Amino acid sequence: MQRWTSQAIALPPRTSWQRADLEFEGVEHDGPSFVIHVFLNNADATEATPRTPEQNYAGYLTVFAHGDCWGDVGHCDIPGPVSAFDRRPPHPLVPFDATLEISGPLTALPEDTSEFTVTALAFNKAGDDTGVFRFKQLTLLTYA
Amino acid sequence: MALNDNRGYEYFAGWHGVPLGWCQHHDPLFLPWHRAYLYWLELALQSQVPGVTLPWWDWTKGTTIPAAYTVAQVDGSDNPLAKAEIKVFGTAHQDGWPTETSRDPGEFPEVPGPPYQQEWAHAMQADNYTDFSQRIWTVHDTLHVWVGGTMSEVDFAAYDPVFFAHHANVDRAWRIWQSAHPGANPPADILDVSLQTDPAMKVQTTLDVRNLGYEYAGTQSTVPGSA
Repeated sequence: MQRWTSQAIALPPRTSWQRADLEFEGVEHDGPSFVIHVFLNNADATEATPRTPEQNYAGYLTVFAHGDCWGDVGHCDIPGPVSAFDRRPPHPLVPFDATLEISGPLTALPEDTSEFTVTALAFNKAGDDTGVFRFKQLTLLTYA
Repeated sequence: MALNDNRGYEYFAGWHGVPLGWCQHHDPLFLPWHRAYLYWLELALQSQVPGVTLPWWDWTKGTTIPAAYTVAQVDGSDNPLAKAEIKVFGTAHQDGWPTETSRDPGEFPEVPGPPYQQEWAHAMQADNYTDFSQRIWTVHDTLHVWVGGTMSEVDFAAYDPVFFAHHANVDRAWRIWQSAHPGANPPADILDVSLQTDPAMKVQTTLDVRNLGYEYAGTQSTVPGSA
């Protein structure tokens, strides 16, 4: 299992939003398939931590990933367009954004919460503890 | 049918990952590409058996893979929907490739299993295509990984026939959501994109299943006649 905990994320006043999403940006999906379980303000969460509201459990995301590369050298490198007229579809391994709605779990934090952390526990079937869940950055998006 | 006959199952299975790698995932083309995929496969099946249609696996109900895909034998023969040899169209088998389909549902305990009623409901609450697409591909990903084995690898998933029952349900979800959100189309800048299938199909063409000649039954109520 791989554990990742974010820096503190500012939480806008409760009255200013109705919906809140965590957006994991630039998620890599070139390795084995994996799942992440997300907790809020619970940096001590482990695989044994109950996935319950009492533990500030916020939900899960599963990523159906590509696994091994079966092409020749360079097959799974992500190329840029070769010209302004390159109309080929995006390379299948282009990183993507994964969204987890956390409106309920975020609202359940104490009323005076002004910032919070996100802890993601990432699992693949091989039980790796590094390199399972790779992404560029995490953004909290709120909607009025 | 011969392995390299492009009317055969192996040819269509090969569109998704090995050897052709045409599938679209985790982007706005996910739903249109897989709808086109099901459409072309269903036509190929109907060329062999007129009137046959792809079934859907409603994974909002039940906790297991449908029995049609798990019973070992049918009419005294091995059930190819349960397990079959993986033969790759147009290329020699490479070391490391699986030689037959496999599954291990529930053996990756961190991945929640069906039913996915809550996830389905969350997707249906989306008020725009982008949100719907992301939410439904998320539960789609979960089912692939929960089934495990061949289904958990993009490159080989479509060699397992349960892949198509799974995707028929994803397609059904899109159709149901579309019915509740008329005109909620994918982003305008992809409508003219040609999806990589054989033959190609534009995203615009995938938007209405009625133009593709099929529909998903909602409910069915039958009463006896007079005879």
